[in-house]
Order: sequence, then structure tokens, then C-alpha cells
Amino acid sequence: MSKKLSLTTFALLASLVAPAAAQDIKVGTIFPLSGGAGPDGQTVTNAVKLVVGQLNEKGGLLGRKITVISKDDESTPAVGVSRANEMISEKVDLVIEGWNSPVTLAMQPILARAGIMDITAVSKSDLILSGETNPNAVRINSSNGFDAGVIAKYIVEKLKAKKVAFLTQNDVYGNGFQTAVEAEFKKLNFSGEVTMTEKFAFKDTDFRVQLTNLKSANPDAIIVTNSSNSSGLPAMVEQYRQADIKSTFVGAVGIMLTTVFKVAGDANNGIVSADIFFPDLPPFTSIPASTDFVAAYTKAYGVAPDKSAALGAAAVQVWAKAVEATKSLDRKTVAAAIRGQAIKDTVFGDVQFLPNGQMQPRYVVFKVVDGKNAKLEAIE
Amino acid sequence: MTVIDTSSPAPMSALRAAAVVVLIIVGFFMPRLLGGGSVAYSTLTTIAIFAVMCYGVDLVLSYLGEVSLGHTLFWAIGGYAAANLSVKYGLNGWSTALAAIALCIAAALFLGMVTLRTREFVFSLVTYAAAVVAYEIAFNWDAIGGSDGVVGIPALILPFGFATFSGLSQEDLWPVAFVLLLLTLGFIARFRRSKLGTTALMVQMNPALATSLGVDPRKIRLAVFVLSAPITGLAGWLYGYQRGYVGPDMFESYFLVLMLTAVVLVGRRILIGPLIGIALLIAQQNLLSLGGDWNKIILGSILAIVLILWPTGLVGLYRRFGKINSSK
Amino acid sequence: MNIAQQIINGIVLGSGYACIALGWTILLGVARLVNFAHGQLYMLGAFVAWYAITRLGLSYPLAIVVAALFLALLGALMQGAMMGLVMTQNLTSLMIVTLGLGYVIQGGSALIFGGNPHTFPGTLVRAKIDIGPLWFTWQDVLVLVVTLVLYGAVWWFTQKTRYGSVIRAVAEDSKLAGLFGINAQVVYLLVFMFECAAVAIGAALVAPRSPILTSMGFNEVIMTFVVVVVGGIGSIGGALAAGLGLGLFTAFFGAFVAHAYTTAAAFALMLVLLVVRPAGLAAK
Repeated sequence: MSKKLSLTTFALLASLVAPAAAQDIKVGTIFPLSGGAGPDGQTVTNAVKLVVGQLNEKGGLLGRKITVISKDDESTPAVGVSRANEMISEKVDLVIEGWNSPVTLAMQPILARAGIMDITAVSKSDLILSGETNPNAVRINSSNGFDAGVIAKYIVEKLKAKKVAFLTQNDVYGNGFQTAVEAEFKKLNFSGEVTMTEKFAFKDTDFRVQLTNLKSANPDAIIVTNSSNSSGLPAMVEQYRQADIKSTFVGAVGIMLTTVFKVAGDANNGIVSADIFFPDLPPFTSIPASTDFVAAYTKAYGVAPDKSAALGAAAVQVWAKAVEATKSLDRKTVAAAIRGQAIKDTVFGDVQFLPNGQMQPRYVVFKVVDGKNAKLEAIE
Repeated sequence: MTVIDTSSPAPMSALRAAAVVVLIIVGFFMPRLLGGGSVAYSTLTTIAIFAVMCYGVDLVLSYLGEVSLGHTLFWAIGGYAAANLSVKYGLNGWSTALAAIALCIAAALFLGMVTLRTREFVFSLVTYAAAVVAYEIAFNWDAIGGSDGVVGIPALILPFGFATFSGLSQEDLWPVAFVLLLLTLGFIARFRRSKLGTTALMVQMNPALATSLGVDPRKIRLAVFVLSAPITGLAGWLYGYQRGYVGPDMFESYFLVLMLTAVVLVGRRILIGPLIGIALLIAQQNLLSLGGDWNKIILGSILAIVLILWPTGLVGLYRRFGKINSSK
Repeated sequence: MNIAQQIINGIVLGSGYACIALGWTILLGVARLVNFAHGQLYMLGAFVAWYAITRLGLSYPLAIVVAALFLALLGALMQGAMMGLVMTQNLTSLMIVTLGLGYVIQGGSALIFGGNPHTFPGTLVRAKIDIGPLWFTWQDVLVLVVTLVLYGAVWWFTQKTRYGSVIRAVAEDSKLAGLFGINAQVVYLLVFMFECAAVAIGAALVAPRSPILTSMGFNEVIMTFVVVVVGGIGSIGGALAAGLGLGLFTAFFGAFVAHAYTTAAAFALMLVLLVVRPAGLAAK
């Protein structure tokens, strides 16, 4: 009896003395987990879970364990808003979100009003970083402005194209990228000309009409902006080859994701594009944080991580470093430690953030040499 | 409950009036009764706004007997009016609401006039096509937002002369949503007893009788359709302020299927039917969500099963089991 | 050369539109039923065909047959469930029911087949034909040939056979046909099964052009509405002409005006026609 009593007493005392930081830090992810973008959203979520797991193995953050709550926004803004409200009620400390820009734009003000730190991993709209309804915004993926620079530079200086055409996805993302590239052409005093612009809808899967027009214009390069990596883009690549178009296929930054290689295989050979992360190209092959991540991700999920996974991983790493530096989870404090600052040792290497929250990208321009195996060769 | 009420509205008994007042008071304080947290406020505000959205479709479906597949058009007009006019021109809530109502009436008049002589299912097809065309326009017209929509919708400002209401958070907007819901319910209640409402029912139940009495079914359909548009439009208007962001996603079938399911679920021509319906659906999606795919299956199944097995909705089912005289 | 290639493109696109629209126009013409699950049925047809090829190891032609049979069976189940509403000619409820069933098919397919894109092996989409500077694939030829054969067969069946006149009788006036001993229920069931089988065939032929996703469907069949309305509801020859015509319109409007607005333009045209010439659709 006395043993029991002392046991109970001990338990009582222990519970009083034990730190209340048995309370975990909660990281929420809101990405599409169903529907057409489901596999992509799953990739990013998996990367987040992996990095959080690595952090927990090293003792967590601020001495506390991190748990991940992942939710599905179904690529629908109205649903994303509901999920954001749920995150608020579950008192998460961070939300990593954003595959589709409209969903991000809908969720941001809600998270901002609730004072929850919000990092946009993938969505590319410029509006995400502008406007007063989303102060302290942070975005990992590159923006159209910077992307346009690297593509324009390749066309003007490397390819030295005389005639250029655009095959552009008809929405703010595609049109914005084209406008940015044309502006860069002016800045670089491009001596060639833009002979033709063909447009298509995101959901389109048949492009013969546009490709026929482009073929007859016979430019040196066709700049393609198509973010439908699961259906439209692979189909476009195959039809491009079927139409026997000789112009160089120059893809906008970041469109050549895993599914494009898997589906279009060798039709991708010869495509030139650029991106901000590669599991098997320098400089990433010599960045320890990057190779560690690639190895761990491959081990856990059986495939090498692509840029989307890297974005998810970096989101966690950037936030974790800011939290450790400021010893705080407060939105304003953490955001201030990221915006305009340098963060070391992410999967992208040492990165610099602009004052508006945009992570500065470092690009590698590549050519596809073996599409079936996604083998790329860096240019210059 | 007979389907066609007597022509002179029965005076509400004092007891009934008291009950309604109590319900209103309880309803207003519902978020606080449910804990007062942000989720309570946001969920209930969303339910209120979506319920008003559904009542627009309810008006056409329950009283006219036709399906409007284009009410997302009015929902979007309301949202876009609120967004563009407040962000670009700084207009206050009254102005944007008035614009939303006017635009919805204009659009409904146009659609109604052009379908004046067509049959019901052509009317549905036309409304569907109109929503598709409007979506394409909204998606491509950068001046009103384009594919990314309009961000940064400011707080809802409603000047009252002696004071100005400014609402940004869910807690602030709840009273507005609640009042909008009450106004809609009151409107529908009046409509049911009005000449137009009873005539519409007669046209639905017995078109031959209606024509023999000199009623033009086409004009009735036009009038009811035009009346229903600003209801959904005002819901979209408030949704714009609540979400702070408006885009072409307002046209998505997600809202259409919600509207239809909420209206048929509980039963037609029951005043608070759509409200209960939408509350159940939103509660399932937010609190008992089984994932995007299962939610679709649930929503679609409810819609199909209710219409196939219990066309009179849950209330009809209850009546059949409760052996109460059912309405025909 | 550009014009010639665009004409070929137009015919290719148009034969696809016509193929997918055949079942829908028959269903609408005979049973006055607007099947809003058409897009999801298209998606399911494509996935069943893909499943038959990649998981059951069947050949492509056999897979097409399997898809048609599977969807016809599903159609029978759906129609059986809706029969009560069909017999009371409750068109509005029927439309909403198909909308709901479409949602169920979408969610169910996503659960069964997942969210990843898939491609069809064993089809002719990569078998190119080059005639000088012009090009198309053997798959395009297949789509055109099958479409023409299907349309011919359906036309011959409805116009030249006894069973066909039974169907036309039910389409004209189901109650009157009932007086002559024709069981309208059976006719409606068969027509709905045909619609599902036809869209499955259309899907198995056209979908291999690009990777298939369980979220697809709406975009792929959206032209169907326009084809059916422009061609005249229930008119077989009209649907074929309208399908090919719309294909050519898409090619030329896209080539010389603005491809982004093709859908809006086609729908606007349909709206105008619905209003100005609601042939057979005017209120009684």
C-alpha cells in the first residue's frame, strides 16, 4: 500500500516538475493531396516530413519535438481556406503551403490575421509577396522576374538566336513570364526578333494547332511556358517531336519535373531549361546539406527528390534556422530573421532572402541528354 | 402543411413569434455558445454566407421547379463587384452591395429574356453555358483580376450615418452574415406567401391550370429567376470580404454541387431546409473530412441518393416513417 | 502548307469531338436526359482501357471492348437506379442526379487509380504518317475511321431496322409508343448503356494522345455540349457534321485568331443557337 502511495506521489510530483514543453512544436502543411496535383503536393509534404524527422533526431527545435500536421487543399481555394482555419484552431506554429497560386492567395490573409508564420513553398504568383494583407510573407520558389533573366540570357548570349517564338500558358503565370522575358530582351539589347506568340490553356492536352503555326514560322528557339507537368507538358513535348519541329525547345524555369521525364522519356532529349535544384548536378553535388537530403529522401521514398521536394525541405530548414537564431516562434520575429537575411546550410546551399521575402535563386541551365533516365547536362 | 398557402397570410401567433425571436437570439450568440474560438466564428460565418448562396438556387428549384446551373455566375458577380470596386475605387460596402445587386439583376434579366421561350432543360443548359463563358471571360480579363484574381480586399465598411461599421475579422463579419441570413429568410418567407410565390408554385404543379387562369409561365420564370440572382450575388459579395480574395475559382463546380445538395437534402419548400442542409455539409467537410476523394463521393452520393430514393428530402422520409400526412 | 496541315488538324480534332458526342446526342434525343456525368465516364473509360492493357495484359483492341462493356454495365446500374425519375420524366432531378453520380465516379476513380498520370502503351499514337510536309498519326486515322463506322452503324440501325424505329418511336412520344406495346423502360436502359459504351470507346481512342489523370474529364468533353446543340439534338448526321465543323473551327480560330478564346467562342455560339434556333426545344 505504501509502495502504491509513494508511486502515486512520485507521479504527481513528477508531473508538476516536468517541463510543460512536453508540448510539441506543430508544423502544418497545406498542399493538394488529391486531384491532378496530388502527387506533386505529396512530394513536397514528404520532403517536409523527412526534414522534420531529421531535426527531431537531432533533438528537435528549442528542445521540443516537432510534429507535422498535413492537410489537403484539393487545389480549391475555398477548401484551402477551411484547412487554414483548421490549422489556426489547432494552434500550429508554422504553415508551409502553396502549390497553386489562387489557393495561396486565398489562405494568406487568413493566416496573417491569425498571426501564424506562413511560408509559401512553390506558388509563383508575384501577388504573394506584394500587398498589405500578407505582411511578413516568405517564398522559397523563384519568381518569374528572376526566371526570365536566366532564360533571356541563354537565348541572347548562348544560343544567339535571331528568331524567337513563344508558346505560352494563358494565365498570369505564363503571360507574366513572357512579359518578363521580353523585358529582359530589351535590357540585353537583343538583336533578334520575337516572330510569333501562341497560347494555350493550362488544361489543354492537344497542341497541334499551335505547333503547326510555330513550325511554319521556323524560329531558332521556342520558349515554352507550361506548368501542367502531369498531363499537358509531357503531351506537348511528344507532339513537338512528332511535328518534327527543329527549333530548340527552351522550357521556362522549373517546368521539367519528374513526371515530364517519366512520361515523355526520350522525347525530352535536346530540351534546354533551367532550374534551381538538381539532385545530381553541381553545385548541389558538392553541398553537404544537399547530398544528405538526396540520400535520405531516396532511401525513404525510393526516388531521387526533385525541385519540389527541395522546396519543401528548404522551407523547414530556413524556418528552423530562424527559430534557433531568434529563440522565438512569433511570426513577426521569425519572418524578420528570414526576410533580407542570409540563411546557411539549406539543401540549396547558403541562401539569401530579399527584403520582400523572396529567396534568391541560383540557377543551373541544362540540356536534357537522356530523357528516359532524366539525365541532364549543365550548360556553361 | 399544404403546398399552396391561403392567399391571405395567416397572422403569426404570439407564441410562434416569441419562438422565432428566441431562435434569432440563440442563433446570433451561437459562435459564443460554441466556444467563441476563431473556428466557431469562421465556420458559422461561412455557413451563413453559403446558406444565403443556396437560397438563390432554392428559390428557382423549389418554387419554380427548374434547375439553374448558372448561379455560380451571380455568386462570382457579387464577389468580383466587392473586390474590384473596393480595391480599385475604395467604395464602401453599401456601394459595392448595390453594384452587386444591379449587375446580378442585369445578368439574370439577360439570361432570362433569352430563355423565355425554351423548355426547362434548355434553360438549365443555357445557365450552365453562361457560367462557362463567364468563367472564361473572368479568367482572361486581366482588368478585373485575370487568372490570379484580386487580392487585398479591404475591410467591409458600412457607414450608418451615426457610426461606421468596419469589419475585417471573422468575429466582425459574423453579425453582417447573420443579418444577411435573417433578411434572406424573411424574404423567402414573404415570397412563399406572395402572389408571385404562389403563382410560381401553381405553374410548377399544374401548368395547364395556370395557363387557363391566364398566367404566363414564361414571365413567372423570368421574375423568379431575376429575384433569385441578387440573393446569391449578395452572398458572393460578403464572401469576397470574408475571404479577402476573389478569383475565377468562384465559378467552380464545387459551389454549384454544394448549392444543389443543400437544397435537396432536407426537402423542398421548407424554409430553413437549405440552411440545415448547408450546415450539415460544411460540418462534414470541416469536422468529419475523410479526404478530398471521399468527400466527393459523399457529396455526390447524397445528391444522387436523396433525389432517387427520397425526392422529398429527409423531411419527406421522416414524414413517411412518422406516418404524418405527407404533402403531394 | 500551314493551311493544309491545319485542315488535317481540324479533322483530327473534329473526329474526336464527334466520337465523344455520339452517345450524348442519342441519349439527349431519345430520353431527353442530360448526362452530366459524361466527363467522368470518359475519364473512367480511359482508365479501364489503360488498366486492361497494363494490368490485365490485354491487347489494345480488346481493351477498348473491355472498356465499352464495363461502362455499359455501369450505365445499366446507373440507369436502373434512376429509372423511377426517368419514368416520371423528372428531367430536372435527373440532371442533378447525373451531376452527383459524376462526382461519385470522380472520387471513386481517384481512390482506386490514384492521382498519378498514366500513359497507354500499345496504341498507335506514336505511329506517324508523313505526306510531304504534312503529318498525322495512325491513331488519328483510327479515330476517324471508327467514328465514321460508328456513326454509319448507328444511323443505319435507327433508320433502317425495326429496332431503330422502336427507339425513334419512344423518342417521339414515349406514352404513345407504350400504347403500342413498346416498353420505354427497356429502350431508355439500352440507350443509356449505349451512351456509356460509346463514350468509353471515344475515350479509349482519344485519351491516349496525352497522359490520363483521374481529375480529367470536364475539359475533354466540354465541346460535346456545343457539338450536340449545333448539330441538332438527336440528329446523328448533325452531330457528325457539327463535330467535324467544330474541329475545323478550333483549328482555324486557334491558328488565326486566338486559341485561348476558342472555348468561349464556341460556347457563345452555342448560346446564340440555343436561343435563336431551339429546334425541337421550344416550350410546348
